[in-house]
Amino acid sequence: MKAGISALILFAGLSFSVAAQDKKLPSALTAGMTFREFASAAQNLLRVRIYYREEWVKDIRTGNYSEDFTLSRILDSLFSGKRLFYFTDRSGNIVVTKDFMVKRIGEVSVADTGVTAPSFAEEPAQDHQVKGNQFILIGNPAERNKPGKGNISGYITNSATHEPVAGASVVEKLLSAGTISNEFGFYSLPLPKGIHIINFSFMGMKEKSANIDLAGTGELNMEMTGVLIPLKETVVSAQKNVVLQRFEAGVEKIDLTSFRLTPTAMGEADIIKGVLLVPGVKSVGEGSAGFNVRGGSADQNLVLLYDAPIYNTSHFFGFFSAVNPDVISDATLYKGGIPGRFGGRISSVLDIKAKEGNMDKFRGNAGISPITAHAMVEGPIKKDTLSYLLAARTTYSNWIFNILDYSSFQRIRASFYDINAGLTWNAGKKDKLEFSSYMSHDAFRLGADSVYRYTNNIQSLRWRHFFSSRFFSTLSANNSYYKYSISNESKTPGSFVLSHQVNSTGLRSDFNWFQGRNEVNFGADLTYYSIHPGSYLPTNESSLVTPHVMPRERALESAVYAEDKFTVTSFFAVNLGVRISSFLTFGPGEAMVYKPGFSKSRSTITDTLTFANGQISSHYGGPEIRLSMNLRTSPVTSVKLNYNRTRQYIHLLSNSTSISPTDTWKLSDYNIKPQTGDQVAAGFYRMWFGNKVESSVEVYYKTINNMADFKGGANMVMNENIIEEMVNVKGKAYGLELALRKQEGKLRFTLGYSYSRTFIRSISSLKEEIINDGKWFPANFDKPNDLSLTVNYLFSRRLSFSADYTYNTGRPITYPVATYHMYDYILIHYSDRNKYRIPDYSRLDLSFRVGGSLRVHKIANPSWTFSVYNLLGRRNVYSVYFRKNGDEIKGYKLSVFGQAIPSVTFGFDF
Amino acid sequence: MARQYRRSHSVLTFRMMKILGKTRKETLMMKMKDMRTDEERPGGSIRRLWFPVALLSVIFLSRCVTEFVPEISEQKELLVVEALITDQEETYTVRLSRSLPFGKKSDARAVTGCLVTVSDDSGNSYMFREKEAGIYISDSTSFRGQPGRKYTLRINTYDGIRSFSYESSQVEMKPVPVIDTVYYEKTTVKEGVDFMPGIDACSIYLDTHDPANSCRYYRWDFTEVWVLRLLFPVPNIKCWIYDRSAGINIKSTAAFDEDRVSRQPVTYITNITDRLKSKYSIQVNQYSLNEDEYVYWRKLQNLGDEVGGLYDVIPASVPSNLSCIEDPSEKVLGYFSVSAKTSKRLFIKDEFEGIIDRYNDCISDTVYGNGDIPGLGTSVWILIDHPFPSHVRILTDKKGCYDCTVRGTTVRPPFWIGE
Repeated sequence: MKAGISALILFAGLSFSVAAQDKKLPSALTAGMTFREFASAAQNLLRVRIYYREEWVKDIRTGNYSEDFTLSRILDSLFSGKRLFYFTDRSGNIVVTKDFMVKRIGEVSVADTGVTAPSFAEEPAQDHQVKGNQFILIGNPAERNKPGKGNISGYITNSATHEPVAGASVVEKLLSAGTISNEFGFYSLPLPKGIHIINFSFMGMKEKSANIDLAGTGELNMEMTGVLIPLKETVVSAQKNVVLQRFEAGVEKIDLTSFRLTPTAMGEADIIKGVLLVPGVKSVGEGSAGFNVRGGSADQNLVLLYDAPIYNTSHFFGFFSAVNPDVISDATLYKGGIPGRFGGRISSVLDIKAKEGNMDKFRGNAGISPITAHAMVEGPIKKDTLSYLLAARTTYSNWIFNILDYSSFQRIRASFYDINAGLTWNAGKKDKLEFSSYMSHDAFRLGADSVYRYTNNIQSLRWRHFFSSRFFSTLSANNSYYKYSISNESKTPGSFVLSHQVNSTGLRSDFNWFQGRNEVNFGADLTYYSIHPGSYLPTNESSLVTPHVMPRERALESAVYAEDKFTVTSFFAVNLGVRISSFLTFGPGEAMVYKPGFSKSRSTITDTLTFANGQISSHYGGPEIRLSMNLRTSPVTSVKLNYNRTRQYIHLLSNSTSISPTDTWKLSDYNIKPQTGDQVAAGFYRMWFGNKVESSVEVYYKTINNMADFKGGANMVMNENIIEEMVNVKGKAYGLELALRKQEGKLRFTLGYSYSRTFIRSISSLKEEIINDGKWFPANFDKPNDLSLTVNYLFSRRLSFSADYTYNTGRPITYPVATYHMYDYILIHYSDRNKYRIPDYSRLDLSFRVGGSLRVHKIANPSWTFSVYNLLGRRNVYSVYFRKNGDEIKGYKLSVFGQAIPSVTFGFDF
Repeated sequence: MARQYRRSHSVLTFRMMKILGKTRKETLMMKMKDMRTDEERPGGSIRRLWFPVALLSVIFLSRCVTEFVPEISEQKELLVVEALITDQEETYTVRLSRSLPFGKKSDARAVTGCLVTVSDDSGNSYMFREKEAGIYISDSTSFRGQPGRKYTLRINTYDGIRSFSYESSQVEMKPVPVIDTVYYEKTTVKEGVDFMPGIDACSIYLDTHDPANSCRYYRWDFTEVWVLRLLFPVPNIKCWIYDRSAGINIKSTAAFDEDRVSRQPVTYITNITDRLKSKYSIQVNQYSLNEDEYVYWRKLQNLGDEVGGLYDVIPASVPSNLSCIEDPSEKVLGYFSVSAKTSKRLFIKDEFEGIIDRYNDCISDTVYGNGDIPGLGTSVWILIDHPFPSHVRILTDKKGCYDCTVRGTTVRPPFWIGE
């Protein structure tokens, strides 16, 4: 169908002439042509557009006219006796019809005329909102002659589930004007008055188009139908032009389909692994938790599920991310251009939207892989009103450890599970309520008596209210809880349990208001934090551990924001937002006052401030500017610019490179200032080959103030005065990101390359805190070259192949370069901080997926995925470390996967 | 039979250690940690625990730990300077050696044939002479440091082809007060229950203060001597054993109104040494430091032995106060220390419970009968030789059990009081 439309329409320029009807065409230029040639000539000469269907006119040739005629005169003569008709709109554009004649439109709406407009669709649309593909009159005809543009807006919903379709692209191809539907499925597109063909497309859904005659401002709702094969099995259509429409440089919609096709080590699709394919996103190594975005540390990413933050984003030593892919409806990563509604982290926002339960019928899927098993069911409780979704995942690795031959494995235990549950209630036409709950748990023991456990819990309630079709709100309340503990339960004097807890409760309201060419978003959010930094307690009577509980930290983070996406012209749009955030910490508690000009340590404390219960002990805050601009330089290119400032009030205390389960969260307080980040980014985007291939070039520069870095040997655990271990450093990062994507057709690929650098510099005036003589040095996650290539080939709907190649520079490391003897000690001399690098990383993975039969109404639809991770068997270095044995230092390298890891995953949908 | 006996003994020792919940190495590490008063916090070893965890987790997946020789461009052998001048009338030593590039294992290579001079801010210059390879000493009669003076160390090396000169920054000798007291406290690690003996340990502290409020930065080290008496009637039965401090012990009072140090830990003696078995003596030396040198020691103190792991602390190079004149980019290791010094000695003779006697392991084998024992060579020592009633000899294969000079000296130290 889309091919049909592109053949049907010829492009004729952007300006319109009312006088076109009266203008005569020089006979010399119209003689002896095919209709196509003639139409194209006429369009150029008269600056109008002519719509027709190729097959109706293929036999028509223009004659030799003795004089110059008007276009209508020529058309009359050409169409006579051929059952072809045409009509002319106010701008002089011509629409050709066959077998019937369209009455002059504008005076009466389509519904009243009873005239059937030509159908451009190959099949009749079933939905009632858009009957056939008539020229639908949008807006009040009386406004037609008023100056200015019209505006079309409406909701896009999934015809099967009635869920809103977020992120669908709405495009007027000839003008290459377009927009994207928001999370409510709402879109709003300003257009010049007149005839337009609007295209609606979304990944995994059948593309649709509507012919409209825009008289003023009006609405058009659209239902879209999913393709027969469920979304996660294959990609049928890609989002076109989306990259050009978005305002922000550096926003990536994570393509669910490709991340599901991407091979992983243990046969599980994984959202974080999908995120890592985005240029500018890196991880420290295999099996390490967290990811680094544009040179930021791992705790500078806000990962949201059900609008609530997740404090530990991984399972099983980082091999799985904490969110079950079965419940993800879509995920958006904001590397830059972070909208005003998000805040609290410096580097990025990963907004994971969860699926709503199917309102129509019962469905589900299940699968097993070598390590895990998962299942998901969804369905209506009351059709079209109330639905549920339940998903669970667990590992059965303990069983594997038992059957393994090596005795050293026998004591290893590692297990996790997670459960997602959701209820969606369409409480009426204007209200929608959603309740979601998430729980995850990890436990592991590695030979020793110590057992590590951690838990994430999220409860979230969201209420969407539609005040009108162009003004709606979301109110939500959520609670996110994270706890870890390390316990030694042996009956020895040393048995202990150490734990850390974070509890945050958030309330937020977001309002979206579409008014003409403005999309205004505003709202407020409030988060209350309660952190138990640590407790160290005996586990049983035989323990001699002295109980020690660190005082609770409490704080309130609040923010108000407002932003306006203003479409200045069809090719230029601006999004200006401001977020004002504030952070208050409360007593009871104590704060140490250190003598200025001295390194903070126990011995430089000059005073201790005591705060009563509820008394404000410190406060921070300020405005954060978010600015984006999008300039459509041509129908296939756009340039974007943006700047944003972000503030972060909660920090992960970690002096290691990767997130480890024993890292603790710390709020800013009397002594610890919030981190602030400023980023400027620019991007250039271009579509190729009829929008099939998209390419982008993005550059960014950012600075980070008050970054947390730690002195060597800093002890993070149960440290009440962590400020004494911190050094004030500044960070800067810059980079270039290139991407080339083709997301449709049999062959699909994503090629991403980034060159990015991240440096830090100690800015303390104290000699003790100066690192590398106060010069800029590479941060731990500075990996300049990063290349990733994913290729998918769909042999058929049942059989697909995927290959994934990754290369990046090794991360920096400080090597011991010499040993020396002094005062009877053997000392190690280290190189400058991060002067060296561990060896480069490269990996190739392959996978084949064999789907079940194509029949839709089969009871179960099985699929097999065969994958090989690290096909080349390369021993990628995860970490290099050194040990001093007596007077000798030895270096060791550690690889997570020393050989290719094959795996088979079986799954089925029902 | 006697073999059996020995074995059961070692099992007992092992158990004792288990009860303590610590290995010897850990105890030593604790000792080092104790020096670092600022860092003393509960749960301190937990972060360290994580590294082996991460390591193991990865090992079980495919066990890919292999030895790794990194490509290091810094192959130059750097000059290492160990130099200390004080205000005491003693010979000062400057020790010059070369660092060993990564992965090379050998003793420190002395740097010989250098010209070593210390000059002060009033134009005097004192030459050091090379006493033995790489060890340069001053003449105690002609050169004695004076608090308030500033000193510079100059070294000229000559390797047969080129000569390089190294110079320190000008370092002022700050005065140091006397140590007020050095004292010990007996601490009970574990109460004795029924038949199980209790375990005691000993903490040694010092107090000092500077009425002039001028010293501010302190460093301490110590030498210790204790009496060892073997259980068996052998010729070298009583010795004095010497040891030195092995940790960095520094303190700053710069942020205090008063320049006073109280209960500064000096050392912690556990029950796994025999230091406290009969009589023990410790001499604590107190040095004044400049702020720069204080920072130098602090950085050194913060360096761990294990680096590079994802969960290990991040190391850094420690800058010296010496530099090369010809090539300022060349790194010099070590430090030219200029400190005034005072000392105080403490004797301890007390009852400490639960001291583990390493000489319990000594009884090794018993031989009955008259006549010579075949194969009795120099590697076997006779602990007890009873000719009556039947000939019994108790032998050992450890020389230390038979001869206390393996660990100490039979020469009585001049300062030793009493037994």
